This record gives sequence, C-alpha cells and structure tokens, in this order.
Amino acid sequence: MIELKNVYKEFVNGEVVTKVLQGINLQIGRGEFLAIMGPSGSGKSTLMHILGFLDNISTGQYYFDNKNVSSLDDDILADYRNKKVGFVFQSFNLLPKTSVWENVRLPLLYNRGKTDLSYVDKAIKSVGLEHRKNYLSNQLSGGEKQRVAIARALVNNPDIIFADEPTGNLDSKSGIQIMSILHELSKMGKTIVVVTHESTTAKYAKRIVQIRDGEIVSDEVNKDVISTETLKGQLK
Amino acid sequence: MNNIITSFKIATNALSKNRMRTFLTVLGVMIGISSVTVIVSAGDSIEKLVYDQMASFGSDFIQAEVRAPKSSGGSLGQAQGIVITTMNENDRQDILDLPYIDKAYSSVTAQELVSWSGNIKKTLIYGVSADFIDIDSSEIDQGRFFTEEEDNNLSRVVVLGKDVKEELFGSNDAIGQNVKVNKQNYTVIGTMKDRGTIFFFNMDELIYIPIQTTQKMILGINHVISITSQLNDSSRDQEAVSDIQKILRANHNITNPDRDDFEVMSMADAQDLMNTVVGGVTLLLIALAAVSLVVGGVGIMNIMYATVAERTFEIGLRKSIGASKKAILQQFLAEAIVITLLGGIYGILLGIFMIYIVYLIATYYGFAWDFSLSLSGLVLALGFSIVVGLIFGLYPAKRAADLDPIAAIRKE
Repeated sequence: MIELKNVYKEFVNGEVVTKVLQGINLQIGRGEFLAIMGPSGSGKSTLMHILGFLDNISTGQYYFDNKNVSSLDDDILADYRNKKVGFVFQSFNLLPKTSVWENVRLPLLYNRGKTDLSYVDKAIKSVGLEHRKNYLSNQLSGGEKQRVAIARALVNNPDIIFADEPTGNLDSKSGIQIMSILHELSKMGKTIVVVTHESTTAKYAKRIVQIRDGEIVSDEVNKDVISTETLKGQLK
Repeated sequence: MNNIITSFKIATNALSKNRMRTFLTVLGVMIGISSVTVIVSAGDSIEKLVYDQMASFGSDFIQAEVRAPKSSGGSLGQAQGIVITTMNENDRQDILDLPYIDKAYSSVTAQELVSWSGNIKKTLIYGVSADFIDIDSSEIDQGRFFTEEEDNNLSRVVVLGKDVKEELFGSNDAIGQNVKVNKQNYTVIGTMKDRGTIFFFNMDELIYIPIQTTQKMILGINHVISITSQLNDSSRDQEAVSDIQKILRANHNITNPDRDDFEVMSMADAQDLMNTVVGGVTLLLIALAAVSLVVGGVGIMNIMYATVAERTFEIGLRKSIGASKKAILQQFLAEAIVITLLGGIYGILLGIFMIYIVYLIATYYGFAWDFSLSLSGLVLALGFSIVVGLIFGLYPAKRAADLDPIAAIRKE
C-alpha cells in the first residue's frame, strides 16, 4: 500500500539547511497497525505529513497504491487527503464554535462523489458520541474531542488513519479509550499509523518503527502488543 | 456548480459567526452603494427637472446676454467685476425689425427693499419690457401687467410675485396700493400667479417694474443685461442666432467675433449646454461615489486579510482534510462577494429611502422633482459592488489558498 524508497527531506531557511529525514525506506501493508516512535525532533511528524500527502519529499520515491506520489498534482493530492487518508491530531483540531455534527461533516464538503449525510451519523455513532452530536466542540471533554476527530477522519471511509500523538493531550483513561477505538478500526481492516514518543501508546501497535535523527533505527513486530480484550478490561 | 454552492454555504456560515465584523464591513459597502444609487437617481431627476423647466419656456426663444469678451476673461471676468454696458434698448428695437421676430423683452435686475405698511422684504427687482408677459409663461393673477406706454413714460408701477404679495399684504388686496421701492412710491397694478422655482431661483420672490423705470429711477444706468426674443417660426432659430449676432456686432462696433461682448443662444443650444453640464456634474458625482465604494472595497480587503490571518488554522485544517486550493479560493471569494452583495442590496434599499427623502425635501421647496428610480443605476450599483468584492477579495483569498497546511495547522 505504502512504499518509501530512500526518502530524504530537508528544510531550507535562507542559508540554513535542516536535514529531517535521511534515507527512509519503509513499507506499510494494508490493515497494519503501526507505531512510529521517536523523541522530539526525530522527524516522525514530518514522516507522517509526507505519508499523509501534506508535505512532499526532497529526494527519493513515495508510492501509494503503486502510484508515484511526486507525480501527482495539487488537486489530486487534495483528493487523496480527502478520500484515502484520515488524520487525528494531538490537539484535536476541531473547528471552534461549531457542532460535533458539522465538524464530522467537514470532509464531506470537499468530497465531490459523496453527499450522503447519513455517513456523518454513522461515523459519530462509531465513536459512541450520538448523544453529543449537537454539542459545540468547545463543550466537550478532551477525550470526546479526540473521538470527534476520529469520527471526522472516518467519515469518508479512508483506507488509512494517521494519528499524531492521539493520546498526548488526554488523561490515561481517555487515552486507553482512543487506542481502543483505533484497535477496533484495525480489526475492521483499516490501516492505522500512530506517531508517538510514548512507549505506553506505541505498545498498542502490532509493529513499532523507531526513528532517530531522521533515520529508522529499528522496525520490529511488537511481540507484547496489548489485545483488544485487555484494552476493554482496562476500560472497566 | 455544486462546489460554488458549497463555497457560498461555507461563506455564509463563516460570516454569520462573526456578525459584528460582517455588519461593519457590509456597512462600508452599503454607504458607497447607496451614494451611487442616490447620485445616479438625483442626476436623472435634475436632468428631467431642467428639461421640463426649459420646455416650459418653449422652443421658440432666442436669448442674447451680455458676456465679457474671451480676451477679458469671459464669464470669469464678469464674476470678477467686469460690467458690460453696450447692450441697450436700441439693440432690442433692431432685433424686433427681423421679420420672424414679433416680440422681444430686455431685462435688468436690481436688489432692493420693498415695503408696505411697516412690512419690509428684500426682493429682486426684475426690470423688463412690456412684452415679457406675452413671451414668458408667467401669468397674471390679479390686475394687469404694465404696458409699453407705461415703460416709455417711466411710470412707477409694479407687479408683485406671489410670495412678495403674500408677505407684504397677506390676505389684503394689493391692487392700487403704493409700496415703497428705493424710497419711492410704486403703485401695485398686478400680482403674479404661482410660478415656482426655475433653475434654483424662486420666481415668486420677484417684483416686476418697467425696464426703463428700473434703469433710470432705480439703477441710474442705460444698459440691459439680456434680450429675449420670440420667433414666429421656430425652424429659423439658427438663422435668428446668426442675424442677432450680426446686429449686436454692428451696433457694438465689433469686427472680430472673439471680442463679442454678448452671447446669443437658442433653446436648442441651451439644452445642449445643459446636457453637457448635467452629464458632467453627474459623472463627477458618480466618480466621487465610486471613490467611497473603492474605500469600502479596501475595507473588505483589510477585513479579509484579518480573516485569513485569524482563520489560518481553519484553512490549514480544511486543506488537511481535502480542500483544494481552488476550494479555499472559492470560499474566501464567496465571503467577499456575499459581503458586497449584502452591502449592495442594503445600499440600494438605503439609497431608495434617501431618494425618497430628497424627493420630499425638493417638493417641499417647490421643485417639480420626480421620485425616479433609475433601473440602470441600480443594476450598475449592484454590479459594481460584486466587482468590488471580486477584485478586493481576490488577493486575500489567494493568500488563503496558498497557505501551507502544516504551518497553518500549527497556528492553533
């Protein structure tokens, strides 16, 4: 599904060149639950932005469903962001003074093919927030906000969900709740990529990729992955 | 099409969340649009008023007026105090010899106090020949107008305009009474019917005295300021202009037309002149109103820039979930257009209200003012408002569309 070949990314600011990614090679298959782990400044968020079509690479190749992403124009990339991927951000990134329902509907506004608004209700139901759908986003708790963000990421039924520090701003119980939802989605066949610097979050993933100074330093199957049942038990 | 509708829905939603800001921006456009609406409409009304008033004189008049020669500064020279004394009664008699002219009157004006029984009023004396009453559309209400004989005899008789009569005499009969003008007694022989305001001058505040009496007894002069002649064949107006010019040049010993100390104009010439003047003034006023619209447009641009800066996060978020550059551009352009369209519609409504107020004021002051709405003016104002929205909204919208989504999201 995703293949990065010798990907480099550098930011140029005047005469200062910052090398962020240095020769990344990575493959992500359909249905995988992957955690990209690394300390601050390791390049993990930049990697996620590249994978999610928000940023482009400096050199190397990025293939998504066997298509070379570098050859796609802005409009197609926008369409990919809309239909192929869903984002969950650390700080939720919901529109303020806007209802849960409207926030979740947002991606549908830019989906030229899909106008069926029942998808909005289905997405809200899938994160268990039907009773909050008319609330304004600022009336919700942190955990609820993140669940709205997940519902928004799901509304266009994308192939892959990118979650950037999804539990970073949450208490531990809400964090477990969010990871539980991601687990369920993974079981339903969605590809989940979680970017985190916390091992407690990464332990829910089936595969952990460690990144440091822009390079992948390890890429291993997580033998101690926490099962869905254990997660449900933690929630009780 | 769906995309455009969606853009407008998003735009109206965004605008409704910032009602005060939206209102203030709309207000700026509204003032500009209402100004354009009022000015275009007032221009139309003034044009109609002027033409109607000119038409009330008829089309068979030739007017000769004194005018300082171009070499002496023309009209500006007269405004600076140059007095032309060459036009006189002889000119009128020579003009009357033309076969297609039956009647002609000369005129002079003077400002004097007129009083009766302790009531005093400052009035304009219109010293005219007896033919005036046959040529002008003014009509006698009571009594009669003076005769040529009374003019020749320097009779101290006066005909009062409607307002002068009412202010001095009230409901009393004025005919046969003596009023004091320039410390001399004048016998009121007639009063005029309501004539109204012509070219912003209230004709009902005039008093009419024979021209020679005015010249000799009041002003101590021998010249006149204009001669108005009536054609018996209106098709000969251009010939008349030419002939009268020849007569006046001969009488005033002028060989070079550039040194003419008069101007002769037919009603058609006067209408052409009025067309130019009214058109020019309307254009100037529209240009001034357009400046206010441009200022409104700059206001929109300013607000749109502030909006883009304030909603950078929102723009980044929208881009991250699939909004293309075009979609963001459309959304912000739609906001600018909605603002100007609202400004346009409310501006037109305010303009119509103001036109009605102008109409009420103008009619109160005696102008035969039309309550006219110029459809072309309304369409022009609305079209201009949308164009202003497009032009001034484009740059901020492009800036929004070009934002880097990652940097924008980090702005939260």
